[in-house]
Amino acid sequence: MPDVNITVDGKKVTAPAGTLLIEACKTVGIEVPAFCYYPGLSLQGACRMCLVKVEKMPKLQTACTTVISEGMAVTTDHEEIHQARKSMVELLLGNHPLDCPVCDAGGECELQDMTFSYGASESKYTEAKNHKEEQQWSPVVFFDRPRCILCYRCVRVCDEAMDVAALGIQNRGSGSVIAPNMGDHLDCEECGMCIDICPVGALTSGAYRYKTRPWEMNHVATACTHCGDGCKTTLGVRRSETGMEIVRGDNRDKSGPNGDFLCVKGRYAFDFANRTDRLTQPLVRRNGKLVPVTWDEALTYVGQKLAEIRSQSGGASMGVIGSNRTTNEENYLLQKFARVVLQTNNIDHQRTADFAAFAAALAGRPDATASAREVFDAPAILLIGNDPTEQHPLLAYQIRNNVRLHKARLYVVNSESVKLRRQATLFSQIPSGSEAAFAAFLAGGDVANGANRDEWNALRDQLRKETGLVIAFGSELRGASIASLNKFALSVQGAKLICLADYANSRGAADMGVYPDLLPGYVPLIQGSKFKAEWGTLPDAAGLTLPGMVDAAKSCKLKALLVVGANPVFRMKLDPATFANSFLVVQDLFLSETAAVADVVLPAASAYEKSGTFTNTYGDVQLVKQAGEITGTKSDFEIIVRIAERMGYDVAKLVPFGSGSRADMGQSRGAQSGEADRHAVWLEAQGLELKMNPFDPTAVFDEIQRLVPGYQVSRLNLMAGNDQHTRLDQNGGGAVGDPALIQPANDGLFSSGSTGRYSKTLNTVMENRNRVEMPKVAAD
Amino acid sequence: MSVIKDISEVAKGMGITFMEMFQPTVVENYPDGPGIFKGAKFQERFRGMHVLQRDENGLEKCVACFLCAAACPSNCIYIEAAENTAEKRVSGAERYAEVYNIDYNRCIFCGYCVEACPTDAITHGHGFEVATFNVGALVYRKEQLLAIKPAQMGDNAVFNKQEMETQRVLPG
Amino acid sequence: MADLVSHPDEIKVVSKRFGQGAADIDRYLALDGYKAAQKALPMTPDAIINEVKTSGLRGRGGAGFPTGMKWSFVPKDSPKQKYILCNGDESEPGTCKDRLILEHDPHSVIEGVMIAGLAVNAESGYIYIRGEYRYLSIIMQKAIKDAYARGFLGKNIFGSGKKFDVYWHGGAGAYEVGEESALMESLEGKRGIPRIKPPFPAVVGLWGSPTVINNVETLASAPHIILDGAQKFADYGTPKNGGVRLFCLSGHVNKPGVYELPLGYSLKKMIYEVGGGIPGGKKIKAVVPGGSSTPVLTADEIDIAMDFDGVAKAGSMLGSGGVVVIDESTCMVRFAQYIMKFYQHESCGWCIPCREGTDWLKKTLDRFHAGGGVKKDINNIQYLAENMMGRTFCPLGDAAAMPTISIVTKFRKEFEDHLEGRPCPYDPVGSVRLLPVLSH
Repeated sequence: MPDVNITVDGKKVTAPAGTLLIEACKTVGIEVPAFCYYPGLSLQGACRMCLVKVEKMPKLQTACTTVISEGMAVTTDHEEIHQARKSMVELLLGNHPLDCPVCDAGGECELQDMTFSYGASESKYTEAKNHKEEQQWSPVVFFDRPRCILCYRCVRVCDEAMDVAALGIQNRGSGSVIAPNMGDHLDCEECGMCIDICPVGALTSGAYRYKTRPWEMNHVATACTHCGDGCKTTLGVRRSETGMEIVRGDNRDKSGPNGDFLCVKGRYAFDFANRTDRLTQPLVRRNGKLVPVTWDEALTYVGQKLAEIRSQSGGASMGVIGSNRTTNEENYLLQKFARVVLQTNNIDHQRTADFAAFAAALAGRPDATASAREVFDAPAILLIGNDPTEQHPLLAYQIRNNVRLHKARLYVVNSESVKLRRQATLFSQIPSGSEAAFAAFLAGGDVANGANRDEWNALRDQLRKETGLVIAFGSELRGASIASLNKFALSVQGAKLICLADYANSRGAADMGVYPDLLPGYVPLIQGSKFKAEWGTLPDAAGLTLPGMVDAAKSCKLKALLVVGANPVFRMKLDPATFANSFLVVQDLFLSETAAVADVVLPAASAYEKSGTFTNTYGDVQLVKQAGEITGTKSDFEIIVRIAERMGYDVAKLVPFGSGSRADMGQSRGAQSGEADRHAVWLEAQGLELKMNPFDPTAVFDEIQRLVPGYQVSRLNLMAGNDQHTRLDQNGGGAVGDPALIQPANDGLFSSGSTGRYSKTLNTVMENRNRVEMPKVAAD
Repeated sequence: MSVIKDISEVAKGMGITFMEMFQPTVVENYPDGPGIFKGAKFQERFRGMHVLQRDENGLEKCVACFLCAAACPSNCIYIEAAENTAEKRVSGAERYAEVYNIDYNRCIFCGYCVEACPTDAITHGHGFEVATFNVGALVYRKEQLLAIKPAQMGDNAVFNKQEMETQRVLPG
Repeated sequence: MADLVSHPDEIKVVSKRFGQGAADIDRYLALDGYKAAQKALPMTPDAIINEVKTSGLRGRGGAGFPTGMKWSFVPKDSPKQKYILCNGDESEPGTCKDRLILEHDPHSVIEGVMIAGLAVNAESGYIYIRGEYRYLSIIMQKAIKDAYARGFLGKNIFGSGKKFDVYWHGGAGAYEVGEESALMESLEGKRGIPRIKPPFPAVVGLWGSPTVINNVETLASAPHIILDGAQKFADYGTPKNGGVRLFCLSGHVNKPGVYELPLGYSLKKMIYEVGGGIPGGKKIKAVVPGGSSTPVLTADEIDIAMDFDGVAKAGSMLGSGGVVVIDESTCMVRFAQYIMKFYQHESCGWCIPCREGTDWLKKTLDRFHAGGGVKKDINNIQYLAENMMGRTFCPLGDAAAMPTISIVTKFRKEFEDHLEGRPCPYDPVGSVRLLPVLSH
């Protein structure tokens, strides 16, 4: 679009035609205040705060609805404007209760800011304020009517951005009131966007209400630990008896691929970390009972036992089950631990998507994956399988808003009538289970039985005409189907792919080689010379897969099993006696079904309580920072290093610390000490800080960047908290495993694997139709 | 002559002494004086140990807004907030301070907290004898800082008496 | 149903068929009905617009925008469906002219909509009738049905092969919907809340299509312009203020009612001659010249010509032609309080100044009139009204602010008197008599 020149307060501004005046002013650092204007939402013009003087216009104009035009001369700083804004604030304060000292928004309230800026300190009215009692709309949403300034942001964000439309307006005039869709309560996605976007304290969060005040918390930006979308979240933490307690989750700084979006899990389901039944002491089975012991005792026991089994039965008799929720560094360390310390390739994790096949299919095309940000800008999107609204809320949000704001074309192919069909240019409901057939059809195959031939043909023709198509597919497509889809993608100009997996670091676990037959970066064992050069000898034969290990345990062939952040007994519906003959070590947050049958249980820190990196399902790697802290727990990273050390292994070989770099000096303790030290971030980004500590994940990240193809992202950007898209750099030859190994969790909006069962919020919202809150299991 | 001069000098000196004998005393009889302050006298605005005030209904004025903690230059105020319920109402607003600690190891009696308080809940009292042999005792809890319930509160008057006895005004 | 009144000075154009049973289609046809539409059928759109432009017809709803110009704004080459909207949401206190047109001459409105449709190549028109005018909807429904039955509306109007449909739609009782974009929202089935302008309705209106929206009286004038000639219509009034219009004379006059008088008619004459003077020979205290939204005029200011420019010169607006006469026995504070009660009730709640401003003005005026006022309230009332003025989303805020500002500035003494004698020192009986006129 051509540029338009305008003058704002004497400053020359050039902006593309069609820009709103309020946005144009921002580009030169002139802030025009507004309550109702919110970038990305429809225009409102209701708050009248953004009134400015435009030359040749008789009245003051609203900057949020005025589109700039050539030669426009604007004044934003004028007595008349100040008076107008002051009177607006006065009018609002007329009915707004002055309960700032108890209001949750106090300290981060836009009305407070405006009052400070435009000074409406005098009350002109003597009549009573209009009062209405506070309402609870759901376990997490409270509405305080008198505080509401009726900016309608909540109504619009719910309707436009979320496509839920659970909020509306009742009555008119000064009696206008925001109302929930069910009259007195909400039936919605409980995403809390309305609370987040509320400029005042009218909508407050049930989880955070009256707990603390914004300036009393430390704010830690990290990645969400629930689904595979990897939203960035800012956790508010404060001191508590057990360490640091997380009290709030939001993303008000709008950084990260998700902007200000968070779903119910990201916003509230951090509460699993605060549960009082978290394991805080290692447990060792003695006389058939798990009894609390010291860390030293437990680690020594595990180290001795594992070393003993290794020397007696060899590495092949041991197995490791990795996690979808531990950091990249931990996953990398775990597989390295398995391969070099335990000397086994028996390592696997619960695969929720076929990343191995995805990497193999995309071999030689490292830039063919789309990032989460690209979904928002793509001109066209094809969605096969999956229900992003439930399973990938960020993907759904990006798609919805891409369609709404950029008029992207969305093609949805699904066996269910998923909600995103409402945004779709074309929705094709295919017979259940025929996703693979559809992929084959796209690659040139025939139409599946029971499918609509004309519809499929028309769809394929239309898709081929697209450029820059982003293809997202769920775990319905595995193995050869992904290769077919890739074949089709090659025929569409600029097409990129997204493989959707379930958990926060499913992609990371796959990338880091938590596979029995693949090394980090999907490198087949046989091609692992680069790793051998660094690590020394590695077992050559492919190890057991997850079901393979279970079978081995059943037939008493598996002597030892280390389970890190996984719950196979529950997930695979195993008989608890399966592991009776194996030495079972479990690292977990809670006494899960698997932990309950373990020989040693080591209390691990959750992803919110450690540092490292996560890779979301799109391949965007993000920094994970320590927010909370539970005394007594240790990160999985530290546990693995300590076990290796007790097994007599030189940990300097496992974690290349001491090289190049830095002393941790307490920096990895997170928010408390490291946050303020900007210089340290720079040093760390440049790899210049001393890593004198074997528990420093950045030492392993150095190695990842050195050895894992595709992870050579900008350190500075990553350390500054930005998401960095990795390349899926695989040069062929990767193994394509049995499709049956893929076991998607199919978590919905209100479930999140084991952690979801421990989240009080997820199990109290009524929209969660299958609430399965974990009963409190007392450690005996 | 010098003798007379010497005597007159002594008389002059003693004269002042005798004159002063009839002037009112200016020495405060602390710590042997009457009252809870043991004879110590204060200007009205003396900034002594804090008192958390109550409203006319005996409810705590503090609503746990954390502004005193934010204003405190020595970071000596620690608060944990909790929500009032219909069954248990502690303050007049929605929220109250479940924990309110002032660490007198660090407090510099600057009065910023009093300035910051939007509900006039925290004020400076006239308590000043804070010295102790145990630094742990210098962290004062809310119960120690709270003002006694007003005596005019009918039924509570009896309760107040007990409270008067149990409540510490000056550390012993 | 209001009794019809008349006066020799009247020039009956729109009100020509009042009281003659023209709601019946046969009777209407006998009274030159649908001749204008048939005359307009072969005319080109530009020719029709030119006729209307020549006639000097200005919008009768209140703003007084030249109608011909409004019609010419509709993009002719737009492939979109175009709509004609007849704004029958007459809710302005003191105005009751559209009610008579819809009651006595509904077919002229249909005919006007058709002519407007021909002028902008629209194929359908909507007649939006205020919710409280339920009985008029029945009359209008019958008229539309009759017109369809005769083939005047439908797929082949008057056998010309052209298509034109007319629908009626009832409101739900909101003054705000009298604002054109709010009316469209209402018609689309949403909350009656005004839209952001630009784009203006002529470009993006009903269902995103170009739309012409006119007042009932404006559209009812169109057939007369086409049939009798534009120049004849223009000559009735003053230059730039063509034609005649319906004035709704109410309040303290001996003969209240709707009179069709040429534009530029003297206000003084209208009150004393047409309206028959003030009951009991009392003096005038104030006159509302164009519905309750317009600034009031004092007794000294009424010697003016009643056209758009004449009233503007006196610092007020011709508005919708609702002339309310207020005699000396009326309390102006009570009057201000009463109209604020109306605006507070009718504010849609969209923007801050109107929603909060009318509420606080009402509360303050209520207390003030009840004798609870203090001196600074007077300034506060003025301050509030002045800060609403020109800063609201739609003209409703201005409509509430304008009369208030004029009353406070022109009748400040009465406010001050309220501080002395409590309660109201003025004759309360007079105030009460005014109420039925303003009550809705």
